[in-house]
Amino acid sequence: MRVIIFSWEFPPRIVGELANYVRALAVQLVKNNVEPYVVTYHDYLTGPYEEPKGTKTYRVTNPVRTHIGVLTWVLTLNQEVERAAANIYYKSNKQIDLIDTHDWHFIPAAVTLKKALNLPFIYSVESLEEHRSHGANSPFNMAIKSIEWLGLYEAKKVIVKSEWMQDEVTRIYKVPIDKIKVIPPKSTTWMKEILETYKSVIGGSVSEWLTN
Amino acid sequence: MAHELTVMMLTWEFPPRIIGGISPHVYNLSKSLAKNDVKVYVVTCDFPGAPQHEVVEGVEVFRIDSYKNPSPDFATWVYLMNINMQKEAAALVNSLDGKVDIFHAHDWLVANSGIGLKHVFRKPLLATIHSTEIGRRNGIHFDYERMIHETEAWLTYEAWKVICCSNYMVSHVKWAFWLPEDKMIMIPNGVNIQEYEKNQNVDLSLFRRRFALPEEKIVLFVGRLVYEKGIHVLINAVPKVLEKVNAKFVVVGNGYMKEPLSNLVKSIGLAHKVIFTGFVDDETLRNLQKCADVSVVPSLFEPFGIVAIEAMAAKTPVVVSDTGGLSEIVEHDVTGVKVYPNNPNSLAWGITKVLLDENYANRLKNNAYKKAQEKYNWDKISQQTKTIYETVLNEYSKSFWA
Repeated sequence: MRVIIFSWEFPPRIVGELANYVRALAVQLVKNNVEPYVVTYHDYLTGPYEEPKGTKTYRVTNPVRTHIGVLTWVLTLNQEVERAAANIYYKSNKQIDLIDTHDWHFIPAAVTLKKALNLPFIYSVESLEEHRSHGANSPFNMAIKSIEWLGLYEAKKVIVKSEWMQDEVTRIYKVPIDKIKVIPPKSTTWMKEILETYKSVIGGSVSEWLTN
Repeated sequence: MAHELTVMMLTWEFPPRIIGGISPHVYNLSKSLAKNDVKVYVVTCDFPGAPQHEVVEGVEVFRIDSYKNPSPDFATWVYLMNINMQKEAAALVNSLDGKVDIFHAHDWLVANSGIGLKHVFRKPLLATIHSTEIGRRNGIHFDYERMIHETEAWLTYEAWKVICCSNYMVSHVKWAFWLPEDKMIMIPNGVNIQEYEKNQNVDLSLFRRRFALPEEKIVLFVGRLVYEKGIHVLINAVPKVLEKVNAKFVVVGNGYMKEPLSNLVKSIGLAHKVIFTGFVDDETLRNLQKCADVSVVPSLFEPFGIVAIEAMAAKTPVVVSDTGGLSEIVEHDVTGVKVYPNNPNSLAWGITKVLLDENYANRLKNNAYKKAQEKYNWDKISQQTKTIYETVLNEYSKSFWA
């Protein structure tokens, strides 16, 4: 199984919880015979490519250096993420099974790759704009929310880390509850459930999903 | 090639959505390409009343939801709109089994979509640069402008070839983005002379009276009412022209300078001499261009200057500022009058000269009409464009992407 993982933070670039979580995820996937390709942001701390603990990590940088805010910065970075993912896809002879995108940043790229190359994606929710901005509804916040909505709408499956978040995703975005899988990172069955969810998306057959 | 040459045009405006010159350019280029056996798909922004999908004169037009995401400012709107444009274009290419040979992007407004599609489908990207931020703003002063400037640079970097519509624009774009000479191609813009030749026998005198008294000469301005179009230079020239000629100034178009300038006109007591019509439909515009005694293009920055060619096709003498693409279109005293840019005295001199000397005006407009017929012909332009497509595809076929 080959999975491309999108995350805007990955060690050594640590902004919040997500960086270490995504690294732990990638490392565990390698141990379980899954090939993860991490696509993340590149800064002065790193080179464009490295392979810590067998996790192939591709780092892209923003072709547009000047920005008026995080939103425009993220949106122009998406095409570089698409470029990196497309390169991985073509180099592996189109043998990529799944994209797992973490939080809203690279949802535009995930959606384009889905539409263009029929690659299914999972949207893993770390946090939501509703909570980060304490309910603010300026056009800036609403734009980010609209991207989160797009991800929830287009994703094959949504992974959240707590039942509370499942309730919130359902409440705010009216996502059907059976599209959301709760997988707490501290749970002993964490990796098993992640793999099952991946398999359910790739396999796609209803019977296989029911037996899991 | 097993199938016919297929191009996907990406543009933020396509009729009936008309904001500037890109819309008529892509419309005319696409339909002329279709006549020259190129399959053209246009992916563009939606417009009230326009269908999501239609076939316009052989061109497949797809309109995307461009206001899906709330946006704090124009540039952010552009980037957000590109999410949807790219998504819909990707789905369309997929539905065609990837049978699109070239993506052709028009200006930075669709840079993200063009660049993303290029990499995802591994097909060549062409860019036509119609205008630049550094030109529009006469320099880069704020982060907002620099961000747009760098997005334009990114598009030209990713493009296989960069097309510009005038020699002036080629050198400007080369300078602005540090591009090598061999990446640049000049293909002029065109005009649809046939559109101006329709209804030749219709009497326009009643139409004319909606705008001017019979004894008033009509001085026409067509363009967005923004700084770089120099509309303020024309307004400053109004009293100077009126000293010598009885004229009515008709200003067609919208923009942020409309309100301040119409207030200015009122405050100097000339509201009866200057009409701001706002945006008008194609037929009204063409009739105005035919009725006008002189068409004025006083731009400070003008990559091409399509309104000058439209006026030439409408057989109206033109007075243009000697800058950018206008300098190439007009030959002074032969096909029009050139005046100093940003100089109301010079502009008033040019307008007055044309309005007071009928023989001179007739000579200019006859020469200009011939030039428009010969050089700015869409059929010819689309053939040049098709040749570029074929050259690029030939180079591409030898690359490791093919």
